[in-house]
Amino acid sequence: MDRAEKTGLGIAIAGHVVLFGLLSVGFLATPNPMSLKSSPMDVALTDDIGLESSAPTVTPPAQSVAPDLGAPEDAAAPAPSEAAPQPLPPTPQPDAAPPPRPAPVAKPQPPKKVAPPKPDRAERTPPKREASPPAKKPSPAKSTGSDAKSTRDRPRGSRLGDDFLKGITDQASDSKSQTPSASSVSPQVLAGLEAAIRRQIQPCADRQVNPGPGANEIVTVLNLRLNRNGTLAAEPRVVRQEGVDSSNGRYSRRVIDLGIAAFKGCSPLKLPQEYYQTSNGGWSNLNYHWQLR
Amino acid sequence: MNLFFNTDAATLSPIALFIQADWVVKFVMLGLLAASIWVWAIIVGFGRRIGRLRRTSEKFESDFWKADDIDAFHRLHKDSALPIARVFGAGVSEWRRSTAGKTIDRAGTRERLATAMGAAIASEIDRLADRLNVLATVGAVAPFVGLFGTVWGIMRAFTGIAQAQSSSLAVVAPGIAEALFATALGLFAAIPAVIAYNRFGHGINRVEARLNRFADGFHTTLSRQLEGQG
Repeated sequence: MDRAEKTGLGIAIAGHVVLFGLLSVGFLATPNPMSLKSSPMDVALTDDIGLESSAPTVTPPAQSVAPDLGAPEDAAAPAPSEAAPQPLPPTPQPDAAPPPRPAPVAKPQPPKKVAPPKPDRAERTPPKREASPPAKKPSPAKSTGSDAKSTRDRPRGSRLGDDFLKGITDQASDSKSQTPSASSVSPQVLAGLEAAIRRQIQPCADRQVNPGPGANEIVTVLNLRLNRNGTLAAEPRVVRQEGVDSSNGRYSRRVIDLGIAAFKGCSPLKLPQEYYQTSNGGWSNLNYHWQLR
Repeated sequence: MNLFFNTDAATLSPIALFIQADWVVKFVMLGLLAASIWVWAIIVGFGRRIGRLRRTSEKFESDFWKADDIDAFHRLHKDSALPIARVFGAGVSEWRRSTAGKTIDRAGTRERLATAMGAAIASEIDRLADRLNVLATVGAVAPFVGLFGTVWGIMRAFTGIAQAQSSSLAVVAPGIAEALFATALGLFAAIPAVIAYNRFGHGINRVEARLNRFADGFHTTLSRQLEGQG
């Protein structure tokens, strides 16, 4: 190696150091100047997709249930005896003391009235009409008794099991009412919830192996029942499937299984609590469009 | 301007790509970097030497044709390291040896003169072209070495996919980028080497042609002298 090569070597090393140094130094790798000038911009946060408040409709539904079942409960006492008809008349008698009284009174009356009809026999219809009101009077008088007879079927009601009070509590159950909560959720939020779920199950969805060509065109609508803590309350249920044709039909069952597996894998979903249950839906019970990517 | 060394894989920083590479790829990169440095050392050194050679040879040649006394001129340039001076020295020494005896074989002397000067030219060109084989080797092999590094790095990236159980591009991209950097380095070393090899091959051919022309001219001069002596 002579002198010229030594100087050449020095120049080459210096040149490489400078070149790679420049390439490694940050200012050559500056991102595009557009992104450096970040001007503040207005962001409207969730104005449109918040909870919409609506006036709660007052419903007295919970009370209407218990009295219905309560009345037969009174009548349940006679129910045990199969020969209900005979005991029944006595029971009304003490309870509805006045009605029986008219009944004996009424009995004499019909004979009295029978006498007048005789002259009126030519006109048959009017007397009958007149006779019918009195006849009706006894019937309301007997009503409790006859009512008892008419409703006898119900109280006799062997249909009522021992657990006929199941589900009825002391408190008015507001869960059964249709519009109890004062807020509703907008379609945007529902779409956002679905997007949030999609984002959260994405790691598990990525892990599912695509069973074959065309399988990612199948859209499965899965009905999710979720607990408030985000876990699955029940196994996701298939509502319907779209995009199944002759070529990918054999994968449809597999796609459903993969979707359920994805949900089970990433199960505790973190979703906003305020949308758990609203008047027009929430993520407690949600239809999710599952599709392989 | 803020100066900092990028060690982020998302940038095209060579240092970042080197740091994150596999050790095999690192080895390949270092080798290619050394080859590149060596190639450029040869390019710079050889370019300077061949340029100086051309200038001094021209000066020597013009001085030679202007000189009246060949012996005096030879004495002047006896220790010169110039190829053209060595060819001239070989011719003169052969001439002296051939004409030292009482009888002179003219044809044999002419032939010996040609052979001696031809041998001197060949040896000078050999010495000069010694470094060109490095350029040829680097130019031919560096792309393959870089490709080896790339293949190795991509294999590693794919095993990374297998480990991460995820085929997302974010898992693969850094590994492939650092692997491709090996090929980039190979090309970075090979392209100047190939260009320099061709350029310097051409330059050496010109030097050889010039030496041959000078040797022919000197040979004719000596032949004439030989006939005059007879």
